Amino acid sequence: MHFPGRKKIKSDSEQTKKQKGIRKKSDTSPRTRRGRRISAGYLFPSALGVMLFFVLPFFIVIYYSMVDNPISHQFVFLDNFVMVFQNAAFRQAAANTLTFSAAAVPLAVVLSLLLAMLLESKIPFKSQFRTFFLSPMMVPIASVVLIWQVLFHYNGMMNEIRVLFGADKVDWLNSSYAQAVIVMLFLWKNLGYNMILFMSALSSIPKDILEVAVLESATPFQIFWHIKLRYMSSTILFVTIMSLINSFKVFREIYLLKGDYPYDTMYMLQHFMNNTFGRLDYQKMSAAAILMAIVMVIIIGILFLTESYFGKDVEG
Amino acid sequence: MKKSQNFLRIALMTGMIMLALFGCGRKEGTEGGGKSGYVYVPEYVQIDIECDHIYDAVAAGDNLFLSGVSWNDDTGENKNYLYKYNMIDKQIQEISIDLDTDSSISSMTVAPDGKLMILINRYTYEQDEEGNVTNAESAIELWDVSPEDGSVGEKKDITKLAGDSEYAYIQYFCVDGQGNIYVSDGDNGIHVVKQDLSPVCDIKLDNWIQGMIPSKEGDIYISSYGENGLELRPVDLNGKKLGEAVEGMAGGYGNTQYYTGVSQSLVTNSSDQVSLFDLSSGTSEPLFKWLDADIDGNEVSEMGELSDGRIWAIVRNNSESASTGGNTYEVVFLTRTEASKVEAKKEILLGTMWLDSNLKKGIIDFNKTNGQYRITVKEYGGGDDYMEGLNQFNADLTTANCPDMISLSNIDFEQYASKGILEDLYPYMEKSGFKKEDYLENILKAYESDGRLCGILPQFYISTTMAKASLVGDKTGWTLSEMLDFVEENEPENIFSDGTRSSIFYYCIYNNIDEFIDWQNGKCFFDGEDFIRTLEFAANFPEEYDYSREGEGISSKIRSNKLLLMQSTISSVQEYQMMNGMFGEKIAFVGYPNSERKGNLIQATGGCIGLSAKSKNKDGAWEFMQRLLSDEYQDSLVSEHGSWGFPVKKSALEKQFEIDMTPDFYEDEEGNKIESPKTTWGWDDFEMEIMAATQEEIDAVKEIIASADKLSGNVGVNEQLTSIITEESEPFFKGQKSAADVAGIIQNRIQIYVNENR
Repeated sequence: MHFPGRKKIKSDSEQTKKQKGIRKKSDTSPRTRRGRRISAGYLFPSALGVMLFFVLPFFIVIYYSMVDNPISHQFVFLDNFVMVFQNAAFRQAAANTLTFSAAAVPLAVVLSLLLAMLLESKIPFKSQFRTFFLSPMMVPIASVVLIWQVLFHYNGMMNEIRVLFGADKVDWLNSSYAQAVIVMLFLWKNLGYNMILFMSALSSIPKDILEVAVLESATPFQIFWHIKLRYMSSTILFVTIMSLINSFKVFREIYLLKGDYPYDTMYMLQHFMNNTFGRLDYQKMSAAAILMAIVMVIIIGILFLTESYFGKDVEG
Repeated sequence: MKKSQNFLRIALMTGMIMLALFGCGRKEGTEGGGKSGYVYVPEYVQIDIECDHIYDAVAAGDNLFLSGVSWNDDTGENKNYLYKYNMIDKQIQEISIDLDTDSSISSMTVAPDGKLMILINRYTYEQDEEGNVTNAESAIELWDVSPEDGSVGEKKDITKLAGDSEYAYIQYFCVDGQGNIYVSDGDNGIHVVKQDLSPVCDIKLDNWIQGMIPSKEGDIYISSYGENGLELRPVDLNGKKLGEAVEGMAGGYGNTQYYTGVSQSLVTNSSDQVSLFDLSSGTSEPLFKWLDADIDGNEVSEMGELSDGRIWAIVRNNSESASTGGNTYEVVFLTRTEASKVEAKKEILLGTMWLDSNLKKGIIDFNKTNGQYRITVKEYGGGDDYMEGLNQFNADLTTANCPDMISLSNIDFEQYASKGILEDLYPYMEKSGFKKEDYLENILKAYESDGRLCGILPQFYISTTMAKASLVGDKTGWTLSEMLDFVEENEPENIFSDGTRSSIFYYCIYNNIDEFIDWQNGKCFFDGEDFIRTLEFAANFPEEYDYSREGEGISSKIRSNKLLLMQSTISSVQEYQMMNGMFGEKIAFVGYPNSERKGNLIQATGGCIGLSAKSKNKDGAWEFMQRLLSDEYQDSLVSEHGSWGFPVKKSALEKQFEIDMTPDFYEDEEGNKIESPKTTWGWDDFEMEIMAATQEEIDAVKEIIASADKLSGNVGVNEQLTSIITEESEPFFKGQKSAADVAGIIQNRIQIYVNENR
C-alpha cells in the first residue's frame, strides 16, 4: 500500500540559510549575549544537578571499576572486568537477567498491545476491563509480594489447586519454575500501564487515514501493519524501553520474596550488584554496572534503529 | 579557543564538585579548642568513706547526703553509714546513726522545708537451736534528720503502710511539694499520707513501677513500662489515679533514670546520655554524654543538678580493687564550659557496632591521662535496624568518615582485611618493642589474615564442648561425621538436653562452616550426607527452649548420661576446676566439629581493635592500642578468682596461674594452718568449693588454650547464611519436605553466595 505525500516534510529553512551564507546578525549583539547569560543562569541549577547526580557518579563508577578496592585505590585497569566475567555468580545473574528480559519485555509489549486493541474494539465492559488491568499499579509492592507468596508458596493456593486435582506440589519459588512465576508477576504488574499508553497511541492515529484505508479495501491486518504499527512506532519504542527498565526493577519483588540470595533461577544482576556493594566490593559492582550499561546502550540503540526504520515515513 | 575555554569551565566545575563531595568527610579536627558550643568539664573528687557500697544519695542545698553499707568479714556483720558531703568546701562528715546489723537505710528524700527524711528497715528474728529463723518481723521507720548538723529528730513507725509486718518493705519513697509522703512497694499500690501520717489516698497500680520521682514543681511522677517503653505518668491525687503518660519523653526499653531537676522539671540519665526535661512543654534538652565527660555511665549510682547549673554524680570505681571485690567512689561535678576554652586534643575516632564495657573503661582512662589525643566513639549498632547500622559502618569505612580504629568484636574482620582496610599490626608491635613471642601466638593468629595481624585482643576465653572421656575417648577434637556417629549411638535428646534447633546449627554448622564451604574451589556441600544428618539430628530438638520446664539438675544429668555433650566456655582455671567437679570424671574437651579436629575456639572478651589503613592519626591510635598489650594493662587482667578471660600476654597468664595455684589458709583453734577454699563456684544445682589448682589442672588449661587458633564461628558467619538455612530448613521440621529436598535448596542458594564471594 502506498500513500503518496506521506513523506516526512522537513523544514528546509536551515539548509537554505546555510546555502545562502546568511548569518544571524543577532548572534553577536549585546542583547543576545545578555539573553544567553540569563538562559545560562536559569540552566545552571539543572546543569549542576545533572553534573552532581548523573555525570559525576558515572565517572566515579568508571573510576572504581579500574581500582583494586575502595581503600587502597590501586589502578588495575581492566582486571576487574576480567574478574567479573570469570565470576560464576555474575555469569549466572547476567544469563538470568537476559533470559528474563528476553521473555518478559516482548510479552509485556505484545500482550499490552493486544489488550489495547481489544479494548479499542466494541466489546462490553470495556471500562471494567481497563480498571481490572490497571488495578495492580495501585497495589503497593509489599502487598504484591504478599499476594504472590500466598499464590505460589509451597503451601500456597496454586499447590492447593494442584493437590485437588491429584497432582504433586511444586516448589514454585525454589525451582526452575521460579523465573516463570516472576515473568507472570512482571506482566501482571506492568500490562495495565503499557496498555494505557498503547490505547492513547491508537486513539491519536488520524481517523481520515484509517477511513481511506477502509475505502481502499485494506484488510484489518494491512491496516494494523501498515498504518497503526507505523504510527505507534515511537510509542512501541517507549513502551519497550520502559518495560526493559522495569524488567531490571523486578529485583525488588524477588528481593522481598527471597532476600539477597534467592534460588539460582531468580538471581539477577541487581542482586549481584547489591550484594557486592554490601561487602564493599565496589570495584566488582562498578565493573558489573558498566558492563550492564554497555549492553543496555546497545539494546536501546537497536531499538532506536528499529523505530526509525518502521517510523521513517511517519511524520513525527 | 572557545572550545578549550568551555572544556576548562566544565573541568573546573567538575573539579569543584569532586572537591565538595570528597571533602565532606570527617574533619581532621581537634576536640575542645576551636569548637563552638559547650562541653561539660568534669571535676573528680575522691571521697574518703568507709562503706563498700553507696545505696542512695540526695542533695539538700549545698549538702549531699549519702547512705551506704559495708560488710565486716571478721564480725560477719553489716555496718550502715550516713554521710553529709558539703559540695562547697568538699568536706565529708559521717553522721552517727544507731542501726544494728539487720537494719538498713532503704531510701532518702528531701522535704520541701529542706529537712532530710530517711526510711529505716528494721528486721528482727529469732533462731532456734538448729539455726532456723523464727518470729521474723520487719518494721519500717521514717526519721527526720537535720541537714545542718545531722541530728536525728522525730522517728515514726510506718510499717502499717507497707502491709504485712513479716514481709513489709517499701521500694519507693518521696515527698511532694505540699509535704505529702508517698510510699510504694512497686507493685500493689501507692500510699499517700500527710506528715502526721493521716491518709490522703491510696492509688492502685496496673503493673510494676520503675521509679517514683518528685519534679522541680513538686509533683510526683511514676515511671513504668507501657506499650512504647518506659513512660512517665503524674500522680493525680484528686482522681486517686495515675494521669496520662507525659508526651515527648522517649524512654525506650533501656535503663533510664529520672531525678528531680533544678533549672528544669527533671534530669534524665539514659546510661549514656544526660538530659533535662521540661514537663510543661514536653521538651528535652540533651546536656552531654557520659563518655564525652570521661565517665562510664553504667557506674553512675546517683546524680542530680545543682542550683549553679553544675551536674553532680556519684561514680563507682571498681577497677582498682577488683581483686578485693570492694568499690571506691568519686563525686564528679560537671561544669558547662565553652568548648573553645577547653584544651585542644587531636581526635581519634573509634568505630564500633557496640562499645564493649572493658574497652569503654580503657578509653576513659586514656582520655583522662593522655594530653595529646582524645578518643571519641561512634556506635553504629544502637538503632533498631542492625543491618542499617552495618551498612552505614561499611559506607563510612570507604569514605573520609572512616574511623581511625575499628572494633572487630563480633564482625567478620576477614572481609575488611581483604579490602585492605586494616593495617598490619605486627610492624607496629615490633616498633614499640612488643615481641610477638611474648604473647600467645596461637591467639594472635586468630586475628591474622595472610600473615598480617589485623586486631589486638587483650583478653580471650575458649569456647568449647565437653564430654566424658569415658564416652568419647581421649579426644581433643572430632569431625562432624564422627560427632554424628556418636549421636546415632546414643539417644539424641540426651546429647544436648537443653538444645534447640538453632543451637544445633551453631554447634554443627556455623562453628564448622569450613567443612561445608570450600572457598578455594568455590564449592559448597550443603546437599551432602553430613548436612542431611545434621538436619535430622536438629529435628529432635524444639525450636525454642521452654524456660518453664523444670527438670533434673545439670550435674545429675551429666552423671546419669542424660546430658552427653555440654557447650560451655573456659575463661579461668577456676571455671575449669568447676567443670571437672561437675562431670565427676575425666573430661574430653572435644570442642566443635571441625575437619581438622581442632574444635576449641577463641572468643575475644574485652574487645578487639583494628587500626584503619586510612587513618591520619595512626600514631595516636596505636598509642591507645599498645596500652592493651602493655604489662600494666595485661597484669591488671590478672585477678584472684580469674576474671572473664585469660590475658593474651604469656607473663600475665603465668601470673594468673601462679595466683590460681597459691593456696589460701586459715588457722584452726590449735593454730594449725589448714588450706581453705579460695572461692565457691556453681552451675545450676551444682556447687563446689575451689581449692588451689594443681599443676595438672594448670597444664590441662594450657593445653586447651594451645589447642585453639580459630575464632568462634559466631564472629565470621554471615547473617545471610544463617537466614537461608533457618528459612529453608523450616519446611523439613514441619514435615512438609524431605531433608534431602531442603538440603538441595539450601545448597542452591548458598552456592550463589559462595560464587559471589570468590
